[in-house]
Amino acid sequence: MRIFWWCFGLVFTLGAVPARAHSPMPGAEGFYIGLIHPFSTPSQALLMFGLGLLLGSFDTKKVRWLLGAFVLATFIGLFLGPGSNQLEAAMFALAFFACAWSALIPGKLLPIAVMLPVIGGLLIGMVSVPDPGPTTDRVITMTGSMLGANIGLLYIWGIIIVVKERYTWKWVEIAFRVVAAWLGAISLLMLALQFAASDVAQISAVEAISVVLHERL
Amino acid sequence: MSRHTVFFLFLVAIAITWSSAPSMAHSGDGYGGGFVAGFTHPIVGWDHVAAMVAVGLWGAFLGSPAIWALPIVFPLVMAFGAVIGIAELPLPAVETGIALSAVVLGLMIVFAVRPPLWVAAIIVGAFAIFHGYAHGTELPSTVNAFAYAVGFVIATGLLHLIGIGFGVPAKWPAGKLAVRSAGGLISLAGIGFLTGMI
Repeated sequence: MRIFWWCFGLVFTLGAVPARAHSPMPGAEGFYIGLIHPFSTPSQALLMFGLGLLLGSFDTKKVRWLLGAFVLATFIGLFLGPGSNQLEAAMFALAFFACAWSALIPGKLLPIAVMLPVIGGLLIGMVSVPDPGPTTDRVITMTGSMLGANIGLLYIWGIIIVVKERYTWKWVEIAFRVVAAWLGAISLLMLALQFAASDVAQISAVEAISVVLHERL
Repeated sequence: MSRHTVFFLFLVAIAITWSSAPSMAHSGDGYGGGFVAGFTHPIVGWDHVAAMVAVGLWGAFLGSPAIWALPIVFPLVMAFGAVIGIAELPLPAVETGIALSAVVLGLMIVFAVRPPLWVAAIIVGAFAIFHGYAHGTELPSTVNAFAYAVGFVIATGLLHLIGIGFGVPAKWPAGKLAVRSAGGLISLAGIGFLTGMI
């Protein structure tokens, strides 16, 4: 009986032809590129994980304010963009602050902490604006970026909360703070390298956003 | 598996081992090369190893909250030191500071010094500046800076973890003696680094 199933499987495998069920959905490629864009560079990935750790350090009932602020800021950021390379330094700086916050004072000073996802969302939105091209394609890609950033942050925060609730040992909380300290250190180093590696004038996150706001408004 | 089969496989393994040539699949640059360079940097320097392990050991000796506070403070402050190094700002006596970190932290463990947490954090943080500076001065020239930074921060953290692991037996009287002895060894090694004997 077994040999029959072997032969059956072999025939199916050898007889397989390339799937031609459907042609690519128009704009799908751009959408997926946008979806992974918030994790495509070290600066964005560090910022996303830093913000995720920051959110994970707060009480779950209060996180809605931080998540809501990020959603709104990402949306606004997409309209403020396109960002420039100068935003790389700003994202590393903000990633450092978010990581240091969740490592040193986790779950504290919510009214001030909410500023970090706001600025982070603006930066992620601004760097996610695609190059000039057909409006439809750009909108699809930006929609992907918007979803990628927010679902990504939701997942990072969710995984942290699930791990914390599933494993209630004290060291789990400490482990997240240690990871935050490590990511903060990496972000700070990358920020320093931004200044060391390039002669291009770098500006802070607040300066970068204020410059764009000044140009747009 | 019969004895003959095992013997045959053993011979095959030897034949393959002898006939193997150096792998030339990749050049060691990019993310992999950067990570390996960063990861090995704190590990191959004995002065770094001694100090990192001492931080974890002292943290474990002091107990909660120092056991987790010191390994959190160290990488963050170390990164500041690296920034100073990358910016090429002058910092005097870097090697002396690194060697002294092993001496001082080792002595803290030997004499079971239990200062307030903030004092311990300042002591550890001050030495972290020197370690970070040394890493930072070598960082910009590496193949991939991001992978290098990830590698050396993880390696530093794992060395702390090793120190904490060695320090856990400090809960018991015999373990406390062993941990204090280890502190003495680290301190002696520090003197060796300081005098150039090691």
